[in-house]
Amino acid sequence: MRIHDRYKCYFFILPAFLLLVSILGFPAIAAVLQSFNLVWVSKPSFTLSSYGRLLYDIEFLTSLLNTFIFVFTTVSFHLLIGLGAALLLNMEIKRRHFFRVIAILPWTVPDVIGGLIWKFIFDTLPGFVNAVLIRGGFLVEPIDWLGRPHLAFSCFIFAEIWRGYPFAMLILLAGLQAIPRQQYEAGAIDGASPLQNFLYITLPNLKYMFIIAMILDTIWECRLFGMVYSMTGGGPGYASQVLSLLTYKHYFQFFNTSYAASIAVVLAMVMLIISIPYLRMTMRREI
Amino acid sequence: MIRKALLMIFMLSVATTFHLTMPLSVSAKEVTISYSDWQLAQDIWGRSLREAIAEFERLNPGIKVESEPVALAQRDVKFTTAIRAGAGPDVFALDANPVKQYIKEGWVKDLTPFIEKEGGKQWLSDFYPFCLMPVTEDGKVYGIPKNVVAMVIVYNSQLFREAGIKSTPKNWKEFRDVCKKLTKATKPGGPVDQWGVAFVLAKACFDLRFSVVLRGFGGDFLTPDWKHSALNTPEAKEAFNYVVDLILKDKVMPPGVTQVDCNEARRLLAFKKTTMKIGTMWSITEVSGFNPDLHGWEVLEMFPVPQKEGVKSKIRSTLYQKSIFMNPNTKHPEAAWKLMKFLTDKKQMEKWFVDNNMLSCRKSVNDTYGPILQSKYASVVKKEIENAAFLPLIPQWPECLETFRQNLQAAIAKQKTADQALKDAHNQIEAILARK
Amino acid sequence: MFIRKYSFWTFIYFALIVMGIFNLIPFFWMVTSSFKTEGEVFSYPATLFPQNPTLHAYSKIWFQEKFIKYFMNSLIVSVCTAAFSSFFGAFAAYGFSRFRFKGKTLLMTVFLSSQMIPGVLLVGPYFKMLSYVDLYNTLLGLILSQTTITLPFSIWMLKGYVDTVPIEIDQAAMVDGASRTRTFLMVVLPGILPGLVATIIFAFLLSWGDLLWALCLISARSKQTLTLGITQLVGEFRTEWSTIMAATVIATMIPAVLYLLLQNFLIKGFTEAAIKG
Repeated sequence: MRIHDRYKCYFFILPAFLLLVSILGFPAIAAVLQSFNLVWVSKPSFTLSSYGRLLYDIEFLTSLLNTFIFVFTTVSFHLLIGLGAALLLNMEIKRRHFFRVIAILPWTVPDVIGGLIWKFIFDTLPGFVNAVLIRGGFLVEPIDWLGRPHLAFSCFIFAEIWRGYPFAMLILLAGLQAIPRQQYEAGAIDGASPLQNFLYITLPNLKYMFIIAMILDTIWECRLFGMVYSMTGGGPGYASQVLSLLTYKHYFQFFNTSYAASIAVVLAMVMLIISIPYLRMTMRREI
Repeated sequence: MIRKALLMIFMLSVATTFHLTMPLSVSAKEVTISYSDWQLAQDIWGRSLREAIAEFERLNPGIKVESEPVALAQRDVKFTTAIRAGAGPDVFALDANPVKQYIKEGWVKDLTPFIEKEGGKQWLSDFYPFCLMPVTEDGKVYGIPKNVVAMVIVYNSQLFREAGIKSTPKNWKEFRDVCKKLTKATKPGGPVDQWGVAFVLAKACFDLRFSVVLRGFGGDFLTPDWKHSALNTPEAKEAFNYVVDLILKDKVMPPGVTQVDCNEARRLLAFKKTTMKIGTMWSITEVSGFNPDLHGWEVLEMFPVPQKEGVKSKIRSTLYQKSIFMNPNTKHPEAAWKLMKFLTDKKQMEKWFVDNNMLSCRKSVNDTYGPILQSKYASVVKKEIENAAFLPLIPQWPECLETFRQNLQAAIAKQKTADQALKDAHNQIEAILARK
Repeated sequence: MFIRKYSFWTFIYFALIVMGIFNLIPFFWMVTSSFKTEGEVFSYPATLFPQNPTLHAYSKIWFQEKFIKYFMNSLIVSVCTAAFSSFFGAFAAYGFSRFRFKGKTLLMTVFLSSQMIPGVLLVGPYFKMLSYVDLYNTLLGLILSQTTITLPFSIWMLKGYVDTVPIEIDQAAMVDGASRTRTFLMVVLPGILPGLVATIIFAFLLSWGDLLWALCLISARSKQTLTLGITQLVGEFRTEWSTIMAATVIATMIPAVLYLLLQNFLIKGFTEAAIKG
């Protein structure tokens, strides 16, 4: 049985492994090589100058800071609201499926189009927000939501919170549904209150899914640029610019391939460093 | 049970995908080439192009053309990814902006051998010499020019008349006065809902529009040799401050102007929210199309870019050009060349004017074609072409432009003073140019 | 959890309604805009309800823009991506969860870190690979690329869920004579059905909303996806807002319906089958 087992594990993992290595391996390595100006450029020559430039580039440093703020805020709210929504939807309510479908609706909007819609909503003249505020008598002059740097950044964060929280909710809801009933029944016998149930049964069981949701969401928010591209374009100036958008601009608009690749590698390194302790936490849960 | 269902779903998806990837059978004699253009995605322009392509196929049995529309914002992403990997459309169109980059990276084919066969310099002589500038490098020609226009100011003559404005502004002082006069509330006692003008400040189409203000003051983005930034000149400073003041002090532009792109600017003019815009031939068609009640063809007029008094420079406007290129990876260069020749020949250029109100790069067409000579718009724009120049035709230009635009937006958002923003733009552009 | 308190349930329903409104406000804007004329869409200040409702945008999509084709393409690509991703992902997740072997942590980390590089850099080399095997401009190429993007996430998600199923259940089944595969399919998989549904929806939505890969890997208009088609409505000269809104409304309804179906039929159906079997 044991010998079979050892080979069996490869059988399970092999298809996924092959798929990833064959299809993603080459592009991923090519991406790193591009940052050293070795491939995909007209005059290849190994150089670290792209990385050196990063240190002096104010736009890069600002985008780096923005990315930190953006990801931290967005992911935190995703997890918080997602947990709340998951708890709500796990209860024995009427029309549970109906509410669940409504709950994932924000996430069904593709990010580029979501950006367009939110841009429209926050638009100064024909926008929804200003329309409501002006017609409701709260405002006389329309507010330039996307024209003021901090306001534009905040609107973008808000829009992304709206769009992305169902991801966390979905993961956590499935996690909640996996908690065995016996634990709650045992708690009921012991006379536990709902709050105690939550703190001592729900949360500990959810711990690993929570961490996984956090890591995946962080990676996802770092990669995405569709929302900010359509909504503010990084503006005004580069007040709402994040690293993923900067990479896109340098790669496809300015054609600075090695610089774009170096930005992407830095981004990947940052993500890796931040997530490694959490990854180990989940792996430590050995069976 | 579960296993069977899973297996079925899996097999079904595999079967479907294989069915879908089955290549369609192509007849051995036919050659198929692809043509990609962002204007294929538009209503009227696309139809005109498709008619032209159908005509080409009729005249050339044995060549089939696949038209591939692409959104303008996605064009370079799609083209460069494909061409880099050895694929891509056989023939494609570009405006003047990224051409030097494409040439530098080897993403367009050298057309000199084809042109030599047609008669070399003789064949090229019908094109305006300056039209060949963007598509030529080191004496080699990489593309065929198609359409060229210069930017002018498009205005609503009816609103001008109603406000009692007798003549169009000749310099920027008069321009400002006109703007102020026309910024008002159309309903008495109501909020301001009509503004003098809206400049394009979002990324899309920023370059063509803003540059005329700079040049109208006698300044420019870069020095004439395109090696250094010219933003530290007093003219550039004056132009920059002028625009920032128009927005912040005089408030003659609608709120939220930092997000206005060219579509938005057209829409504002179409629905009478603004009275002027920086535009050109296509503005008439498009703005009229937005709002039939405007009666754009009667009401819209043009005047040349205002120029500061005493400015000696001849150049005050900017040129836009669309040209056609061949993919170096193409498997059918002969067929591709035939298509390129066809799309830019005299007859097609004339049809293009009739359909889309656009001037051609061919002297013979602009100077002799009846409808062009009769059009009030064509006469203004044609004349303005003599006073217009291209934006810098260097590979670093997109990055320089974006740097400038970001600083301008920062100044309007009051993150920096106008002078500080201009100084930063100057230094950053110098750094970019020094790099390569 | 059977709680009788009236105030508790009122609070719950109130919270649900707040969540619903929060989610639906942009949809409200989308739907009302899709019924407005182009002129009204841009009035200032904007109107909250269409003054002269028109079906113009929807008829445009139906007749003019070939959106039905785009829609079918998107459906095929997304369903296949979701199927492949969950299928291979589930197997891999089981392998990572139940077995110990050298380099397990490293492998899982490498899987995940492949996702940390933005798609922008991966498209070019990937395109080159696809054209070598002649899969450029095919839906299969697009499916493969999107499967590999969603795969690491699927594996990580599913592994988390498989971990919640106690290994004793595996061992009990194997003692009864079931092979590993059978154990996996018959015993463990039904135990993680909510997690599987979450993963399927996740992979589906990722593929559904993807723009960059669909843009670069497909050139024929007939093979375009819905998302790509919608973004093309933002043209050089015209942005058809009401059409964009109408198309988006339709585009978002599909995943919602899919989720509903998965919830109702997959979970219910399997639970019933498990009870019977």
